Amino acid sequence: MVAAKQTKQSLECINSRLQLVMQSGKYMLGCKQTLKMIRQGKAQLVVLANDCPALRKPEVEYYAMLAQTGVHHYSSHNIEVGTVCGKSYSLCRLAIIDPGDSGIIRSRPEQTGKKINPAIFFFNKTDQNLFKTKQKTDL
Amino acid sequence: MGKFMKPGKAELVLVRCCLGCKAVIVKNMDDGTSDRPYSHVLAAGIDCSSRKVTAAMGKKKIATRSKIKSFVKVYNYNHLMPMRYSADMPLDKTIVNKDVFRDPALKRKTHREAKVKYEERYKTGKNKWFFRKLRFYIFSKNH
Repeated sequence: MVAAKQTKQSLECINSRLQLVMQSGKYMLGCKQTLKMIRQGKAQLVVLANDCPALRKPEVEYYAMLAQTGVHHYSSHNIEVGTVCGKSYSLCRLAIIDPGDSGIIRSRPEQTGKKINPAIFFFNKTDQNLFKTKQKTDL
Repeated sequence: MGKFMKPGKAELVLVRCCLGCKAVIVKNMDDGTSDRPYSHVLAAGIDCSSRKVTAAMGKKKIATRSKIKSFVKVYNYNHLMPMRYSADMPLDKTIVNKDVFRDPALKRKTHREAKVKYEERYKTGKNKWFFRKLRFYIFSKNH
């Protein structure tokens, strides 16, 4: 019961912060654009819905690891994310470029979804082990 | 929030004939140019990597099996998957640049340059990940 209450609290927390970002900050919605922002190094935080396709999630996590950008796993599905952002469509991925007045980046609320193993992606075994420790290496 | 598409970054090619090939960024153009108004990259990579070599093989056989076929191509950022690896390949920038694609003779020279440098680097034993073939499977919808 306590865990459920905490989940709800953190969800409301992230919801209000996302709404603030929508009003006052800069963001990019959608899979392609978020990737572009990550590549350019502009994304400060990436928000992923929990029903993001299994291949896209670790892909974005990998990109974010390279760019040293945070990833927030939103605990609800893409329709919910779209609604929170005030849009009439569903959103699987969004990138926050400038948080504006929101404290979303300064203090990230607790993540409640379970983490997907990024080794789903096409690494070989040695890469999988190294990825867990998030090392950057020379070839 | 860092830019990671930089010269020396290793990439995987995701499209067409060089699918699954490993490449290294030689030069990146984040803002695009007039003829390519999108972010793109000049990448030099390995088309056919060298074959497996064992201690029991003779020198001649090892030499034949250590050959590398390289490619130099311009890619859209969307068509590459960046890797966490980097490789500082000593490619001559005057030979390997974007202008070679207009002239077939220059292009041949560029390929030659990349091939020679990669084979040299392979023989030193550095950058082992880069010279190994990436193992992957393509699942088609019509099984």
